[in-house]
Amino acid sequence: MAYLENQHNEETLTIIENFIPKIKHCLHNTDYQEREDLEQEIKLKIIEKLATVKFQDAPSFWDFFS
Amino acid sequence: MEKDNQKIEEFFYRNNEQVNNPIIKSFLSDSKNLYLVQKAILCPTDSNKKRVDESFQSHYINVRKIKYVSNLIYFFSLDFDKKRRKLQKHTLLILDKGLSEEGGTTAIEQIEDTSHEKELDHIVGKGLLDHIEDEQLLKSLQKLTVRQLQILEMIYVKELSIKEIAQTLQTTPQNISNLHRKALNKLR
Repeated sequence: MAYLENQHNEETLTIIENFIPKIKHCLHNTDYQEREDLEQEIKLKIIEKLATVKFQDAPSFWDFFS
Repeated sequence: MEKDNQKIEEFFYRNNEQVNNPIIKSFLSDSKNLYLVQKAILCPTDSNKKRVDESFQSHYINVRKIKYVSNLIYFFSLDFDKKRRKLQKHTLLILDKGLSEEGGTTAIEQIEDTSHEKELDHIVGKGLLDHIEDEQLLKSLQKLTVRQLQILEMIYVKELSIKEIAQTLQTTPQNISNLHRKALNKLR
């Protein structure tokens, strides 16, 4: 269980790191003073969502080749 | 071996449309996955097929996650700003209305008026020489011309801008800053 949790955390971290350019870009959607706040909120939201949302029902590879 | 290659090629050719599907394409672009698929085509046992499926499903979920996060970032940033604006509209900084419902005082009255203090300073204000405690500095200051002393006093004691000084002395700002620099050089 601990191992799974660790793996999940690492995965989340890499996703956030890969998305940093996009986050920085989206900071322009708000005022200059609010950007730091927004950056933190976005990261928090990503962590929260990746932990709670279930990404399931992936189709089988062979379904595509009938 | 050649027959194997032919078999694989034929499979891809037959399923050209599916192979060009973005998710399949990105899945096959990883050589590890491609190898698994080729193996499953050549000997389509259940275990080989299952391995492809496992790899494919993790790939698929990953792509979904990335797509989800990408959307999340974009829409969250828009939402955040919308909320912020709404809050700002609700809590405007109003200075000229009563602080409490019946209260007579307003916020603007509670802000200290500093311009008043400055005037007081002007009356009681001392000259530059009265502020100096260091004797050596006092001596060298006394060697300066009256005009230079005047300028130093206005800059450092009264905290006027170069422009304002030029106006009161009826000269150009460039001249003031020149005299200022010369005075400082003399003091060194």
